[in-house]
Amino acid sequence: MAPRTTVFQIVLLVLRLGLGAVFGFAAWSKLRDPWMLFANSVDQYHLLPQWAVVLVARTLPWFELLLAVLLVTGIGKRITTVASSALLALFFALMVRSYARGEGIDCGCFGPGEAISPVTLLRDGSLLAVSLLLAGAAFVGKRRRQTARIRNLALPHVAEPQP
Amino acid sequence: MKLSALLLVAVLPLAAAAGSIDKAKAFGNPAAPITIELFSDFQCPSCMAFHRDTLPALMHDYIVPGKVYLVYKEFPLPMHSHSREAAAYACAAARVGKYEQVADALFQNQPTWAADGKVFQTVSTALTPAEQKKVLALSKDPSVLNEVQEDMQEGEADRVNGTPTMVIIRGAKRYPVSGMNYSLLRTLLDSLAK
Repeated sequence: MAPRTTVFQIVLLVLRLGLGAVFGFAAWSKLRDPWMLFANSVDQYHLLPQWAVVLVARTLPWFELLLAVLLVTGIGKRITTVASSALLALFFALMVRSYARGEGIDCGCFGPGEAISPVTLLRDGSLLAVSLLLAGAAFVGKRRRQTARIRNLALPHVAEPQP
Repeated sequence: MKLSALLLVAVLPLAAAAGSIDKAKAFGNPAAPITIELFSDFQCPSCMAFHRDTLPALMHDYIVPGKVYLVYKEFPLPMHSHSREAAAYACAAARVGKYEQVADALFQNQPTWAADGKVFQTVSTALTPAEQKKVLALSKDPSVLNEVQEDMQEGEADRVNGTPTMVIIRGAKRYPVSGMNYSLLRTLLDSLAK
């Protein structure tokens, strides 16, 4: 049982670092270019007024960078993975909607010039699945630790036999 | 002597770069800090809207004042049955100095020739009889057809995946932009010009 748990922990660690790297790359690819290019990608979805487009374009890459740092360092795993799952679910829903309508717009995932396609949908869907797995594992892990702590408190202390 | 040699070294790459641009399909000041390569398809309705709504403002605010150098590039999409033919006529018209006039005629009458396929009939309205003969002959010239192909290859290299797409060039940086509203475009061009 113990080796299987260790392997699972290693898989989770690799997935968390990978997801962090993806968020880091996404943030870097937006921040290296003028913000108007990402604003244009956001605007193409036709969901927000101009002021909100500008706000999202100027803040979202920094939020992605924050998520990347938190995922890589493992700080606040539950909050971080819930936030990354919510963000990826939002991206995925918007991309599916746009693709279904045949709008042929850029996904805006890693800078301009990448149209929404089955490949981008598969990629975003996979990232969402990974993020949900990490969120689930973070909550289950926390509950297990709490249960173990309660059990330890409930058990009567048995005196060590004296030699 | 040393100074003139240094100047020559500095100017040669600029001259080489300028040589790759077809001047008959370019507008504005070649020394402008920003160059826009506009990849468009004469049969694409969004390109027609861009030509009608955005381009005049871009011309007025940036190209005529010399802030932006505009270079037209052909990017006929395979889904449009007459766009490659129209691109060939436009490139041929560029060689008689009538690119802009032919482009205007093609965009203004797009619904008509796109439906009936009589592309040259529309092109001819912007040309004199002598020019019509020249353009008709040039449109079948391998160098003209090759020019259209080269433009498309350049677009593909710049990740152009639809039309109209502007590749905004500032120094060594190239930014492909499509569907940008004019307000954002202005903000982008102003920030790049600084």
